[in-house]
Parts: sequence; structure tokens; C-alpha cells
Amino acid sequence: MLEIQDLHVRVDGKEILKGLTLSVPTGEVHAVMGPNGSGKSTLSYTLAGREGYEIVSGKILFNGEDLAPLSSDARAARGVFLAMQYPVEIPGVTTINFLKTALNAQRRARNESELDALRVLKLVREKAKALNVPEEMLRRALNVGFSGGEKKRLEVLQMSLFEPKLAVLDETDSGLDIDALRMIAESVNAMRGPSRTMLVITHYQRLLTYIVPNRIHVLASGRIVKSGGPELALVLEEKGYEHLIGEPA
Amino acid sequence: MSSQALRVDPKTQLFEDDFAANSADLPGAGLSWLDSRRVLAMESFAATGVPTRRMEAWKYTDLAGALDGELEPATLFRADTAATTTDVFADLPGTRVVLMNGFLHYIGGTALTDDIDIVDLTQLSARTPEWVRLYLGTGPTGGGPGLGTASLALMRGGIAVRVRAGAQGLSPLHLRFINPSRSQPLMCHSRVLIVLEEDAQLDLLESHSGVTSEQVLANLGVEFVLKKNARLNQIRVQEEGTHTLHITSLDARVAGGAHYQSLLVNLGAHLSRVDMNVRLEEPLASVGIRAATVLGGEAAADVTTIVDHAAPHTKSRQLFKSVVGGRAKAVSQGRVTVRKGAVKSDSHQMFKALLLAPRAEADAKPELEIFADDVVCGHGTAIGALDEDALFYLRSRGILAAEARQMMVRAFLEDAIGEGTSEAIHDAIWARIDAAMTNVEDVP
Ligand SMILES: Nc1ncnc2c1ncn2[C@@H]1O[C@H](COP(=O)(O)OP(=O)(O)O)[C@@H](O)[C@H]1O
Ligand SMILES: [Mg+2]
Repeated sequence: MLEIQDLHVRVDGKEILKGLTLSVPTGEVHAVMGPNGSGKSTLSYTLAGREGYEIVSGKILFNGEDLAPLSSDARAARGVFLAMQYPVEIPGVTTINFLKTALNAQRRARNESELDALRVLKLVREKAKALNVPEEMLRRALNVGFSGGEKKRLEVLQMSLFEPKLAVLDETDSGLDIDALRMIAESVNAMRGPSRTMLVITHYQRLLTYIVPNRIHVLASGRIVKSGGPELALVLEEKGYEHLIGEPA
Repeated sequence: MSSQALRVDPKTQLFEDDFAANSADLPGAGLSWLDSRRVLAMESFAATGVPTRRMEAWKYTDLAGALDGELEPATLFRADTAATTTDVFADLPGTRVVLMNGFLHYIGGTALTDDIDIVDLTQLSARTPEWVRLYLGTGPTGGGPGLGTASLALMRGGIAVRVRAGAQGLSPLHLRFINPSRSQPLMCHSRVLIVLEEDAQLDLLESHSGVTSEQVLANLGVEFVLKKNARLNQIRVQEEGTHTLHITSLDARVAGGAHYQSLLVNLGAHLSRVDMNVRLEEPLASVGIRAATVLGGEAAADVTTIVDHAAPHTKSRQLFKSVVGGRAKAVSQGRVTVRKGAVKSDSHQMFKALLLAPRAEADAKPELEIFADDVVCGHGTAIGALDEDALFYLRSRGILAAEARQMMVRAFLEDAIGEGTSEAIHDAIWARIDAAMTNVEDVP
């Protein structure tokens, strides 16, 4: 269960999240929709523990534990995963080496045994196949020269490799063609389960026809202004955000 | 010498006093060819003295300020070397030569073949081979003010090596320099001469280390002579003690078709300076220099090169990479000269530095002097901090901050270390860089 209570977050001295309240029961998938600049990425970075995203007040509880004091690596070890809107290019670090290092870092932090290179490769290959990620990509430097779609697929590959307890997907659908979108949706749907909590952040309703969420929340100016069932996506599709922003939730 | 009386410089005086008091007892004293070279070298040194920051070539590195005024000349010292420091290349085969405070201490490992001659420079005499006499102390020693001239004038020991014409596939030559301090501050002046005859090839694995409690000035003068089509591959790891001032003045003369490749890994010392002066003397001579510096604390490391394209169709490639933490300072200066008539010269220099702390410093100075047409000379500079976005990305995947930084440092240095080294050498170097990184991380 993810519980965000009256969260105020400041970035570079500017308050971006202004009293955001949201809860996602374990086993559910919720969507957060909102226009550009409404604070979606700020929310996802705050959940992942990025430095510089200062929690001024409010709480983030995950399965009862306060995430605020935990560093981003500690959160990852506890099963928090963020598929980033803009995955970072890291020259000189090969993708496969990165995946192995990350997976073992998480396992080590949880006192689980580390996996050898061969085991990791086998696991990664399995996941890569489902997402149509070519083997050759794994040997290239992390995200360097990857297309937008390749970067997003690699984010989802990581999600299925790390098997997080809380997965946050920040506009994983943006910049994808319809085939890639379907493939990613399939991987995400395959990961739905009674012990996993998911927050799917998107600007467009399109993704939500493939990943049908339990609930949808509309974010505007750093607050949730409306929540509803999956049908809310269609209302937004038809009428846009305009008519919601302005009228209180 | 007329200005000498006017100058009040106790640091320079230290060297002059040593020469005045001891020149008659230095190795090879009485050999006229050497005596005259030593005298010339001392005069040349005295004319500029110990470099200060007022000299353009030394404006970033304060040698005079760091130098202790009470250094005693090192003497031959017999001690157990094994216990003192880690041998970087311990697991690699080859002929092993250990120099202790500049004195030849030990030769072992793979037996020497007829292809290599080694001469102990404490044993210079009338019977010293012709090739030593021909080359020792004849290079321009540094190319500017520095301590290269003093290393010849005050030379106490060192070695000369010759690889016979056509000798290839030799096992590597290890030169392990150990410069410990003992109860008093020391200065060690030594020389290395390596002559590669035509078509000869040599892998040189060099390490410099020492446990210190007092200041040690390790003043080394190096001459490389590469004859036609020779190839020298030098890999050098400098991890001197925390009290060491490490000064290397290196001259390389590269003949037609010959290639000199050098990798300088700078990890230690209180202050280090490598002055490299490479002369590409004939067509198709080439040089590749890569420097990888990892420093923390208050250390300073300076790599200053002069590459002289003195003939047409010569090529140079230089890559300087520095990772600097704490309040450390890494200096990289590279001057490329293309002489008149040296057409089709091709040179490139790249300077990159990664600053890990707010008070860390990196200075990069490329310089070009071109007196020929139809040449290709390029350079680039990039100094910056670790990419915070990348760091967050790695950490958000569960990788601890220190490991994430280490991954990024590795990625940053990889092209300097990786290319052209064998896997075993690569691993040996990385083991030392990883160790150095923990020190860099320790000091904020
Ligand atoms: N580093 C920052 N400093 C100041 N303002 C920022 C920073 N990052 C984002 N913002 C601002 O915060 C608001 C929300 O941004 P963001 O969370 O990226 O929105 P979204 O992901 O919904 O498009 C925007 O107005 C944006 O300009
Ligand atoms: Mg965004």
C-alpha cells in the first residue's frame, strides 16, 4: 500500500507539489494523468528519492514505512522502482554490466545471494526477448545512442528484471509507436499481481486502453483534482484537462 | 653563472652545494665525457634554478614551495624491498629490476637474454659500453626549466638498457622504483637510459612507490632512444608515498617509422611532475601519450608534454584524463610544435577532467606552435563534475553512491587505460586505481 498524505515538495526553492494526497492499495494499478508541468515527474522523482526534491511537509508511506529518510538506493533495495520519463545515457558503462551491478546491489542490500554473470545474462535474455530488445543492445553503453523507444523498453526490461514491489512508470508511453506500446503494456500487465503496487503516470489516455487501471487520478498544479474509475480516461479524452482544472475535485 | 652571486635561493643552493661537495665522488667521476656533461648540466640547472610558479611552464605547480630545504643525498641502501609496498605488476612475467632510492638493487625474474644489456650506472668506468657513452645525458633533458639537468649533474645511480636490433617478443622489462624515506629527508637523483636499436620492441612496465615519513625528492631523468622502426610500449604507475616529490624529466627521440607509446597512471605522491619531451625526428615517427590521474587529499600531479614534430609525416596522439577529489590538483599541459617543413604532421590532444569535490582543481593547457603548411592539429578540453543525472539513475537502481561514482570514474578513464593494454595489465592497473579511488572518496 502506497499512501501519500498532503505532500508538499520544493525543487530549487519553488513549491511544485502542493498538498498531494493519493493512496494505492497493494495489488492495484493506479494511473496519474495530468497536463505538462502539472508535477507528474516531480512526484515520481520524489517517490524515487532524488536529491534536491525537498519534502516540505506531508508523508510518503510504503507498506507503513516512511520513505522520506531513505536514499534512492535504499528505496530500490526495498522494492521501489521508477521507469523514468527521460532515461539517462551513461557512456562507458555497458547495459549488461549495469543490469548485473544493479540487480546484485539490490540483492546484497536484502541479504540475498548475488547472481553470477551467467545467471544474470540468462535472466536478462529472457526478459529482453519478451520486449524485443536485441542482444546487441545489451552490449552497448547504457542508453547511449538508443532511440526513444529503445530507452523505454529498457526501462520496462529493468522493471521485470528487478521485480519491484512498487513500480512507478513516468510517461513510459510517450514517443512510442502502437506496436511498442502494446508490447510494453503486455509486460506491465504480466507484472500485475496481488503483492505489487503500480503507479502509471501518463499524459495521454491511449496507454490506459492497454493497461486498465483500478483508478485514475488527475494531477493539476501539484494537487490531485479528481479521482475516478477507468472511465475517467474517456472523459478526459473527450473533454480534455481544461474543464477539470478550475473545478475542485 | 654571473647571476649566481645575486640570487638568494636556498632551494637551488641545496643542489649546487651537493655538486660542489660531492662531484668528485659521483659515479663515473674522472671520465671526461661524463664530467663535462655533468658540469654543463649543473650550469644549465643553476641558470634557472628550482622552478617557481613565476615560470610559465610551472605556473600551476609550486615545486620550490613544496621542496624541503634540508634534503640529504640518498646513499646506497640495502633493505628488504618485498615488505615495503605492493608490486603493481607482481603477477606479470618479465625481467624484474628494482631500484631503491635510485640505486640498482636487484635484477631477477625471467632470465636476461642476449637481446638485452643492462648497465648499472653506479659502475660507470672506462669499460662502460660505447652505447652508454653515446647517449647518456645527451638529450635536451626536459625541454624547459626543471630538475632534469640536476638529475644528470647529481646522478647517483640508475640503469642503462639496450635492446639489440630486431629483438622482438621479449618478455616485459619491469622497472620497479621504490623510494622510501628513512629517518631524514632525502633527495635521490637517478637516470634511466633505454636504447632500442633498429626494429627492436620492448614492453616496459614501470612502477614508482614508497612508504614515507619524511620528504623524499625522487628526481629521475629518463632518456629513450628509439631507432628506426623500433617500438617502445611504456606503462607506468606512479603511487609514491604521501611525502614524496616525484619529478621525472623524460626525453624521447623517435626515429623514422618508430613508435613510442606511453601510458602514465598517476595515483600518488604529495607532488608529482612528469615533464615529457618527445622529438619525432624522422618521417613516420609517431607517439601516443595517455595520462590517467586519480588524486585526492591535498596531492598535486602535473603532466607536461612537449611533442616536437621535426619531420614530415609524423603523428602524435595525446589523451589526458584526470579524476580529482578533495583539494587535490591535476595539471595537464601539452605543447605541440610542428617545425618548418614538417608537412603532413598529424597531431591531436584531448584534455578531460572529472572533479569530484568542490575544492578539487584541474588545469589544462594545450598549446600549438605550427610552422608548416598542410598539417592536421586538433585539441579539445572538457572539465566538469560527475553527471548528477547519471548518478541518480544508477542509485535509483539500487547501486550505492560510492559504487555508482566508481562506475562512472571507470567509465571516464576506460579509454585512457583500456586501449592497447593486455587484460592482465589492464586488471593490474585497475586494481591500483580502485585502491586510489577509495582514498579519493575518503577525503571530502
Ligand atoms: N529543477 C526545477 N527547478 C524549478 N522548477 C522545476 C524544476 N523541475 C521542474 N520544475 C517545474 O515544476 C513543474 C512541474 O514539472 P514536472 O514535474 O516535470 O511536470 P510534468 O512531469 O507533469 O510535466 C513545472 O512547472 C516545471 O517547470
Ligand atoms: Mg514529466
